[in-house]
Amino acid sequence: MWLPLLGLILGISLGLLTDIQIPDVYESYLSIAVLAALDTLFGGIRAQLQQVYDDKVFVSGFFFNIALAAALAFLGVHLGVDLYLAAIFAFGVRLFQNIAVIRRIILTKWSERKKE
Amino acid sequence: MKKNKLLRIPSRGLILISLVSLVLGFILAYSYSISSAKRDQISTNTVYFNEQEKYKEDLIEQKERNKELTEEINAKQQEIRDFEHSFANSEESVEELVKEAEMLRLLIGDIPSQGKGIAVSLQDGAYNPSQENPNEYIVHESHVFKVINELKISGAEAISINGQRLHSNSFIRCTGPVITVDGKTFPAPFVIEAVGDPAVLLASVNLGGGVVDQLASDNIVVTVEEKGKITMPALRDDKN
Repeated sequence: MWLPLLGLILGISLGLLTDIQIPDVYESYLSIAVLAALDTLFGGIRAQLQQVYDDKVFVSGFFFNIALAAALAFLGVHLGVDLYLAAIFAFGVRLFQNIAVIRRIILTKWSERKKE
Repeated sequence: MKKNKLLRIPSRGLILISLVSLVLGFILAYSYSISSAKRDQISTNTVYFNEQEKYKEDLIEQKERNKELTEEINAKQQEIRDFEHSFANSEESVEELVKEAEMLRLLIGDIPSQGKGIAVSLQDGAYNPSQENPNEYIVHESHVFKVINELKISGAEAISINGQRLHSNSFIRCTGPVITVDGKTFPAPFVIEAVGDPAVLLASVNLGGGVVDQLASDNIVVTVEEKGKITMPALRDDKN
């Protein structure tokens, strides 16, 4: 279990140390990438709890979602339509759903354990 | 049971999850550092704004002080002149010197000037479609020079162009359709006012083959009129 944790710490330190300035236009890409990453992360946790977890699905979903969100934002910037809103909306809704499912599963488990 | 399942993940999966967490950590930390940098920028912007406000207030204060000092200088100058006048009354020979000083002060625009005089107004000629070059019928700075030189030769005490008084170091430049007098731009028509003996000034301007005739042949509308009273402020008053 220490390897993912190490990766997280390495990633955070890399991100804090990076001193690259990106133009304002591309900041929406970043926010969408954050959302996509969080969404996939919670999706993975939910799948784990529902015991349908598959690491191929998880990893491919993580990178594919980020790429898709960035592509949508890129298209939106060039078309003059705020398409990244669609990505934010979709990911936001799914984020809430995933968290709700996780909460329910945990609640059920907790109450079951209490009955025992 | 959950733990067992986690342990059963093959090492390839573990590596992939590490990669995912690395990317996640990077994205989160990077966006955090960017937004905090932006916050810093906003706060420095407000600092700059406050500084600017402060300098503006300082500037206004300085300007007010300058104005006060200018008024003080004017008062002192008046005092000196009064003193000289009283001196002149007592001594005949000094009177000449005082007059000369007065003339010189008028020349450099140090004191206000008022009295009879004339006003010469130069206006662009009417648009003439048969002439392609508009330079043929607009007023150039050379025309203004001619009038001013003529007025000076005829003994004008003080001269102004569209209200801007000229002094001994004045400059007049042609800047396209307008002219610049001491850094201020003025459009046509140009009204050149001169304080002096109206009879002499009028006669010299209207001399046969003189300034008015020359200007008229350059398609410029010249009007000369006599003025009962012209007042020109001391130059220092505008300099602020």
